[in-house]
Amino acid sequence: MRKDTQGRMHFKIVFWGPSLSGKTTALRWIYDNVEGLEKGSFTSVADHTGRTLFFDYTPVQATEQVVFEIYTVAGQKRHAGQRKVILEGVDGVIFVADSAPDQMDANIESLSELRELLGQRLGHEIILIVMLNKQDLPNAMQKDVMLAKLGLGNVQCFTTCAISGENVKRSFRQITRDILMQHVYQAPAKASAS
Amino acid sequence: MHPVKTFDEILADVIKSEGGIKKCILVDRTGLTIAHVSKFSYYPLDVDGIGAIASAVFCASEEQGKNLDVGNLIIVTSEFDDGKIFAAGAGKGVLCVITDKEVNLGMIRMVMKKAATELAKVLEEFLSEKPSVETGKTDSDREELRAALGELERG
Repeated sequence: MRKDTQGRMHFKIVFWGPSLSGKTTALRWIYDNVEGLEKGSFTSVADHTGRTLFFDYTPVQATEQVVFEIYTVAGQKRHAGQRKVILEGVDGVIFVADSAPDQMDANIESLSELRELLGQRLGHEIILIVMLNKQDLPNAMQKDVMLAKLGLGNVQCFTTCAISGENVKRSFRQITRDILMQHVYQAPAKASAS
Repeated sequence: MHPVKTFDEILADVIKSEGGIKKCILVDRTGLTIAHVSKFSYYPLDVDGIGAIASAVFCASEEQGKNLDVGNLIIVTSEFDDGKIFAAGAGKGVLCVITDKEVNLGMIRMVMKKAATELAKVLEEFLSEKPSVETGKTDSDREELRAALGELERG
């Protein structure tokens, strides 16, 4: 969490996952469909086909003093350097896994990279939510199988379809809620606690 | 001195130093816009989006420099048909300057270097206040967070 000069609290959320898993589609769906929250412009650094080259970004304001800065990363392997930059200062990650069986290795590789970059903070001080996306595919892998292969045990997970928006709003609401709850009930400063 | 005023003062000095400068933005390295000043109040810009790109581009260039072992990044210059964008590191932040096409490059570089040094100091002070805010939130912070939770529940 960072505060700006007006005292507003900013929380950074990053959609992470392998190439073409649906990160931008999910963020776009949130931008177009989630109502009641004030949204800024949708900024996208993408190629001419719409594939993310660097990141997508949109700020979402819950109240006058609480803003979520939401990013996606470029999923292609060659954009690892850019992904590292976007992860700086993150408060919560939505890991978007592709439910197609032939994408399982890519999911594992992407999650492994995330774990390497965030270490033990992932899932603890940095909230982790998992979206098992493309569950509308006829051959979509089942939730339990995917979580086992990803080595994810006790994690908040949603089966989603980013194109139709199924469970996308729930995933977004969950991560924003978890981030806020973490900060509302955060332990007091170490100095006063000891 | 209060950081808010200092940020704006330093950015205003940058704007006044060269006639071709249209906008100055200070962002941190997570992409958050900290302060911005325009020459004209009606100059329409999506400051948050521009700040996010400026920070990401600068930090990515720094990463590239590390990979290539070419030393520290001093300034990123982007030249367009009708204007230029400069970005320079300012400690924990990035100073981004948007100009007309015709500007004195030497002057811009010099002014940005001086401002970046000043901003780095103020930013260090501003950001060092974070831990106490982070771990010992005020009651009004908590109220705001609870209000935000309420908004999300309603949404």
